[in-house]
Amino acid sequence: MRFRDTFRTALKGVTVNLSRSVLTMLGIIIGVGAVVLMSSVGQSIQGVILSQISSLGPKSMVIFPGPEGVGPQGVTTGFDSLTFEDLSELMKLKSITTVAPVIFVPAKTSYGREEGNPRIVGVTGNFFKNQELSASIGRLIDQEDLGGAKKVAVLGSDALDKFFGSVDPLGKRIKIGETYYTIVGALDLVGSQFGQNVDDRILIPFSVAKNVTSQKYLNLITLQAVDSFDLAFDEIRTLLRYRHGIINPKNDVKKDDFMVHSSEQASQILGSVTLGLTLFITTIAAISLLVGGIGIMNIMLVSVTERTQEIGLRKALGGRKRDILLQFLSESVMLTVIGGIIGMVLGVFLAFVISGIVRNYLSSYAFAVSIKSMVAAFFMALCTGIIFGISPARAAANLHPIDALRYE
Amino acid sequence: MTITPLIQTKDLCKSYDNDGVVTPVLFDINLTISKGEFVAIMGPSGSGKSTLMHILGFLDVHTGGRYFFQGQPTTTFDDDDLARIRATRVSFVFQAFNLLPRTTVLQNVMLPLLYHPAVPVGEREKLALQAVETVGLMDRKDYVSSQLSGGQKQRVAIGRALVTNPEVIFADEPTGNLDSASGIAVMDALQKLNDEGHTIILVTHERATAEHAERIIHITDGRIDSDTRNFARVIASEKNLK
Repeated sequence: MRFRDTFRTALKGVTVNLSRSVLTMLGIIIGVGAVVLMSSVGQSIQGVILSQISSLGPKSMVIFPGPEGVGPQGVTTGFDSLTFEDLSELMKLKSITTVAPVIFVPAKTSYGREEGNPRIVGVTGNFFKNQELSASIGRLIDQEDLGGAKKVAVLGSDALDKFFGSVDPLGKRIKIGETYYTIVGALDLVGSQFGQNVDDRILIPFSVAKNVTSQKYLNLITLQAVDSFDLAFDEIRTLLRYRHGIINPKNDVKKDDFMVHSSEQASQILGSVTLGLTLFITTIAAISLLVGGIGIMNIMLVSVTERTQEIGLRKALGGRKRDILLQFLSESVMLTVIGGIIGMVLGVFLAFVISGIVRNYLSSYAFAVSIKSMVAAFFMALCTGIIFGISPARAAANLHPIDALRYE
Repeated sequence: MTITPLIQTKDLCKSYDNDGVVTPVLFDINLTISKGEFVAIMGPSGSGKSTLMHILGFLDVHTGGRYFFQGQPTTTFDDDDLARIRATRVSFVFQAFNLLPRTTVLQNVMLPLLYHPAVPVGEREKLALQAVETVGLMDRKDYVSSQLSGGQKQRVAIGRALVTNPEVIFADEPTGNLDSASGIAVMDALQKLNDEGHTIILVTHERATAEHAERIIHITDGRIDSDTRNFARVIASEKNLK
C-alpha cells in the first residue's frame, strides 16, 4: 500500500465520523493552544521586563526609601529614610560614578483647559545620565537651571501627548500647582520601569522641587555603578545601615529602611520569570497532551473494535500487517496533527486578543508569538499521536484475518 | 509431463485450542483441485466446510497435514507471502457481502487494488470500472452500499473479487442472504467467471446452490464423505431465461 493510499484511507477514517474526531482532538487542541498562548504571553511579559531593563541602563541602580517587601510602587511617598546627607556620603563611594537625587512634587498640572496628574519629578543632570534619557525635542535640564532654580520643565512623552498633542510645546508655559513653568524640552519614549509608566511625568530642576516641597528627604536616588554591582550593593548597604543606625549582621534586607535595586536584578527577575513560565508551560503541555493522548488512544481502541470486520476484510484482500498498522497510526497522527494546527491557530488568536486587552493597561505589552514554542508544541502533538496511536494500531495489525472477519 | 494441481492437501487437519480445550474440526482432508475447476464444498452447518475454505484461501492455518498451493508447501510462506497471495492470486465473496460502509460501489470494488503490488495507481479506476461493468452495476457505481439491495451488494462483492483477476475465487455461502432470483444472478456471475478460466470454490449447505458446480465435495463432521462429478450441473443463465 502506497503512502498516498494510507494517507487517504486515514483521512477518510478521520472524516467519516467528524464530530467524534473533533471531540477526540479537543485535548490536543487545548494542550497545544495552551502552550502557544502561554508562551506568547510569556514572551510579551519578557518584552515588558526587557523594556524596563533597557530603560534603566546597563549599570543603573536605584535606592528607594522604605523596607523591602513594600514594592517599588509604594515607596515613592510616605518614607523619609533617605536624606540629603545620605546623598553626599553616597557620592564619596568608590564603586559609584554618578548619583542623582529625586524629589516628587505632589501637584496638579494644567495647560489651558487640559488638566492632569503626571508625576512631577525634581531631578539633576545626573538623573538623565543614570537613566540614559535623551531629549526628543528641545533640551534637558542643565546646571544653569539647577543653579538658578529656574522654573523650567521637560515633558515625558505621554505628558507631551496629553497636554500638547502635535503642538510645539517649546516656550509654552504649563501650570504645576500654583506655579508656571516654561517647557524647554521633551523626552523620548521610555516605557515602564518596575511596573510604572515613566513617560507620564514632567521633570523640573531638583532645586525647584526642593524649594516647592520644602522636603528634607529624598524620594529616591539613582546611581551608576563603576563596574561590579556586588561591590556597589555592599558599599551602599553598609553606608546606609551605618548612617541609619541599623544593625543587620545577617544582611537581612527586610530589616533595612531602604531598598537597592539594579538593572542586573531586573535581568535576574526576567530569568526567573522566564524559567517559571517555561516550567509552567511545560507542565501544562505535558498534562494536556497526556490527557489528549489518552483520549486519542481510547477512541482509537474503540475504532479498532468497531472496525474489526473492516480490518479482517482488508487483510482478506491482501492488506499486510504494516498496511493496517500504518493506516491506524496515520489516523491517530492525523488527529493530533489537525488538533495541533487548530490549537496553534487558537492559541495565537487568544494571545492576540489578550495583548489587545492588556495594552490598555500596560502600554509596553506587545503581541508576540514564540515560533520555537509553536514548533515544539506541534512536534509534541505529533509524538503524542505516534506514542498513543501505536498500541491501538498494533492491536489492529495483529488481528488474525479470520477472527477479525468473524467478529461480531 | 505432470500438471501441478492448483490446490492439494494431504491429511490436512484443523483443531481449535481454546484455553487448553482442543476442538478438532477437520480430519485427514485429502483433496486436489485443478486450475479452472468449479468446486462446491457442501455440508451441514458445523461440518467444517467454511474452515476448510478459510485454510485453502490463506485466511486461516491448518494444524496438521500438508497444504500445497501450486505445488509449494504453504508452511514456507510467511505473513507477507500470505498477504501477497491474498492480494494477487485468491479472492473472496462472503455471505455477509462485507462491503465498506459509506463507500461507493466503485471505491469498494477498487479496494483490493490498494494492496495489489503490481497494479499501477493510474490503472486502478479503469480496472474497477471494468469489474463494475462485468457485474452489471455501471448505473450504480456511485451509490454507497446502504443504497443497494442484497443482490446488488453481492454483485459488488463479486466485482471486488474479480478486479485483481485472481486464479481462485472463494465464495462462502454467496447466496445465503439473497432471494432466489438474486441468488441465481450471483451463481450466473460465478459460472461466467469460471467460464473465463477462474477457479471457483463455493461453500454452501444448499444442494440447489451446490448443483451449479461441476464437482461437489460433501463434508460431514470434518471428513470428506464424497467427492463426485456433478453431471447434472445447473446452468444459472438457463434458469434465468426460464
